[in-house]
Amino acid sequence: MRDDPGNRPPTAMELQNMLAEGETTSAQLVEDALSRAKVSDDLGIFVSLREDSAIKEAQASDRFRSEKKARSRLEGIPVAIKDNIAIAGEPLGCGSKILDGYISPFSSTAVERLRAFGAIPIGATNMDEFAMGSSTEHSIHGSTRNPWQRDRVPGGSSGGSAAAVAAGVVPIALGSDTGGSIRQPASFCGVVGMKPTYGRISRWGLVAFASSLDQIGPIAHTAEDCALVLDCIGGSDSRDSTCLPSGSTDCYGALNAGLENLVIGLPKEYFQSTGVDAEVLEKVYDAVKHLEEAGAELREISLPHTEYAVSTYYLVATAEASSNLARYDGARYGKRSDAARSLVGMYEGSRSEGFGEEVKRRIFLGTYVLSAGYYDAYYRKAQKVRTLLRRDFEEAFLECDVIATPTCPEVAFPLGSKLDPLAMYLSDVFTVSANLVGVPGVSLPCGFKEGLPIGLQLLGQAGDDAMPLRIAHEYQKTTNFHCAVPPGVAP
Amino acid sequence: MNTQRIFSDYEVVIGLEVHVHLDTEAKLFTSCPVSYGAEPNTRVSEVCLALPGTLPVISERAVDRAVRAALVTQCKVHPISVFARKHYFYPDLPKGYQISQFEEPLATGGHIEISDPEDASRHLRIGLTRIHIEEDAGKSIHDQALAGSEVTLIDLNRAGVPLIEIVSEPDLRSPEEAVTYLRTLHRILRYVDVSNVDMEKGQFRCDANISLRPHGEVRFGTRTELKNLNSFRSVQSALHAEIIRQAELLEGGGEVVQATMGYDADRDRVFVMRLKENADDYRYFPDPDLIPLRLSPTRIDEIRDSLPELPIERRDRFCNLFGLSTYDAEVITSSRPLADFFEDVLAIGGETADFAKTVSNWIQRDVLGALRDRDLDIETSSLTPDALVELLRMVEVRRVTVKSARDLICELVVSGGNPEDLVEQRGLEAVSDSSILDTVIQEVVSENPDAISSYHAGEEKSLNFLMGQVMRKTKGKAEASTVRTFLIEKLKVGPT
Repeated sequence: MRDDPGNRPPTAMELQNMLAEGETTSAQLVEDALSRAKVSDDLGIFVSLREDSAIKEAQASDRFRSEKKARSRLEGIPVAIKDNIAIAGEPLGCGSKILDGYISPFSSTAVERLRAFGAIPIGATNMDEFAMGSSTEHSIHGSTRNPWQRDRVPGGSSGGSAAAVAAGVVPIALGSDTGGSIRQPASFCGVVGMKPTYGRISRWGLVAFASSLDQIGPIAHTAEDCALVLDCIGGSDSRDSTCLPSGSTDCYGALNAGLENLVIGLPKEYFQSTGVDAEVLEKVYDAVKHLEEAGAELREISLPHTEYAVSTYYLVATAEASSNLARYDGARYGKRSDAARSLVGMYEGSRSEGFGEEVKRRIFLGTYVLSAGYYDAYYRKAQKVRTLLRRDFEEAFLECDVIATPTCPEVAFPLGSKLDPLAMYLSDVFTVSANLVGVPGVSLPCGFKEGLPIGLQLLGQAGDDAMPLRIAHEYQKTTNFHCAVPPGVAP
Repeated sequence: MNTQRIFSDYEVVIGLEVHVHLDTEAKLFTSCPVSYGAEPNTRVSEVCLALPGTLPVISERAVDRAVRAALVTQCKVHPISVFARKHYFYPDLPKGYQISQFEEPLATGGHIEISDPEDASRHLRIGLTRIHIEEDAGKSIHDQALAGSEVTLIDLNRAGVPLIEIVSEPDLRSPEEAVTYLRTLHRILRYVDVSNVDMEKGQFRCDANISLRPHGEVRFGTRTELKNLNSFRSVQSALHAEIIRQAELLEGGGEVVQATMGYDADRDRVFVMRLKENADDYRYFPDPDLIPLRLSPTRIDEIRDSLPELPIERRDRFCNLFGLSTYDAEVITSSRPLADFFEDVLAIGGETADFAKTVSNWIQRDVLGALRDRDLDIETSSLTPDALVELLRMVEVRRVTVKSARDLICELVVSGGNPEDLVEQRGLEAVSDSSILDTVIQEVVSENPDAISSYHAGEEKSLNFLMGQVMRKTKGKAEASTVRTFLIEKLKVGPT
């Protein structure tokens, strides 16, 4: 099946072969990507494009190649970057009015490394404001639409990045994942998204939402492309104290290790949880059965504290967010209220005018969680539950090599259908634990419901980013869900 | 109200929080350089500005300095301490929070010894509650001339400069003890290179907690906190003013309200900045951008081994080895360069108790005075240990008089030089030749018959007058005791 990608846009690996064979040039790829970005403008994927500089970089990349100095398998490949990951000299907006006009003077480590390996960022993708949301509806730039059905959300908060890959604009995009913000949109858009182990990729240059949960990660058509990106941008960074030491993972090299002797754990709390769409559950079952047929062993496991994960997540994430967003005060950069006539007026005006409703809601929640008298009941207790969740996973991984779950309880929902914030929060039920615990998670397409993609989530042990990618790769070798093309996407 | 009476009625309880800039080239969480007096906002990195996407990384040098401070104050350094965010909105605080330490500080439970201001021979042990590491904020400039009345200017050069906060126990019982504590701490921290402790540059700043209670009362009274006391003098005057204010309140049947106070040095008045009930909720929580600070026993030992001998240890060694009095040894060890100078002098001139005592006397009586008069200290002066040894030897063998030696010290501290040459050039060789002295005395005796008569009539004062005449004629180059002996001898014989 892999030999017949159908109409699916090419992967980075495929483009790399074409470049190597001289069938195309990087300049051509970048021009194509830019024109596809413009053609699909109605999807609301990009918030800014680097037209001139991307083409210049592509020409430089073509020179590297012609001099036989290609820097990596990503040489000359166009990529899209979520609008909360800094690129020097480019706007960095986080979907927020408060960063209106802000241009980052420095690049994130992830982008710096992508570029050092030859990849070419073509623009910044839309997102929920400050990565707070699961639908990419909470953006100053308006909603991004799901390429599969345009009245549906692409998921979020990295909805722009997931849609950019699904719509065939670029083979690879970077997103960020604080509670599922890569995996859930990947699931909704029928692409592969990965949240690496906490600390695998430096957070330098990633605009913080919740520092102890945030991770940058790749979105692509295949686990193979994700592995390429992870190997390129992962590793220690002297600018991020929470970054892990380098060298523990060669994801690309481990892709073809097969499924022999591997145990896939199925947490009963996830599969038995109410509120999961029956068809979603069925397709996810089919997927793990498929893996079993391919040589893996299935085993039911338990993650007993799962029911506390979402509430714990919203305590920790909002607490950290309320702190991380304190710097947007109108004093040094971004939006300053014109109406301000006093110091307090400057703060109040700039922050009330600059932040959207969802961001304000979370700042309020987080401020409350950290307040004197409530700290022990909320923040400290949440940290304790976090420890219990971590133990759940440690114990589960004594019995299995990877944990398989649905990525989301449902397929992409219609735009504007989740007006109740709590309903939106609950859709993160399967993804937040990986962030609270720090383990890597991959979402990959495993079927459709009424033309909308369904995602299988594979969670690995902390530090072992290769394992879930390797299993996803095996799955993709023998299935073609990732080869399906959204209607209207030109080859 | 009379302060004397306040102290007899009430016990004053003071605890101090001292903020000390650590002596580092870079800021606490970025390699951005620290500099004082640079053009505003020229020592700022993306981290200092809290640009989106920036992260803090701890400076190991700053940690070393902080651990030094903890070790010299006998604190227990914790193997794990945690950085926490302290939130408040102010334009000179770019992140909207200050990175500090809260529940798990670097070190706790130390003490320093200070001499009792009422009796320098006694020592008081002042407990230290904790030492924690934190970053400084920037500066807000409200100066009208500079900024205009509608405008506040922000300088972020200081934002992120490494600090430690040293919190004392409420062990201090008077403003004088508070100042002595501060001076002692100031000296120790400088001694071990924790900080340059330049108060004018804001490198050593103090907040004071103060309360009053009737003598014998066990519970503490309600305290107020005096903020931003930036000189020893203002600490003392602000505490005095606050003691009087609290005492008057209590005497009048009122009560002290917990508050943060400021001190207006120009009018010598304290004023309420904000009441406790309006106190900020700082919403501390562990900073998720930083991993806990881990200090292995090996690292702590290495830092301990790199410490110079402490003033107190050196003082005791000088007492034991050379028989100096505690007071003398304390003066000599008041600064590390001075103590080094003293030891260098002994190394050259001989490490005997007698010589040590002589050197100590000369340093305290003459060298320090000469330095003070010329606004120098021992490091900036030109006096070398060799020169002092040589000069003291000349005094010992009476080649120069004490008076000449003192004059020479004043010269040596400014312009240096070799005492031997100077004595020669200036003709300061002591007049010890008895025939010269005889001639001079003869002259004086014959020129002052009245004084001679009154001496013989029993007026002892006349002898001093005659001695003065002899000294004047020999320009201080004669030894007073010799002149005296010669004169008395001469006057016994009677007029010739």
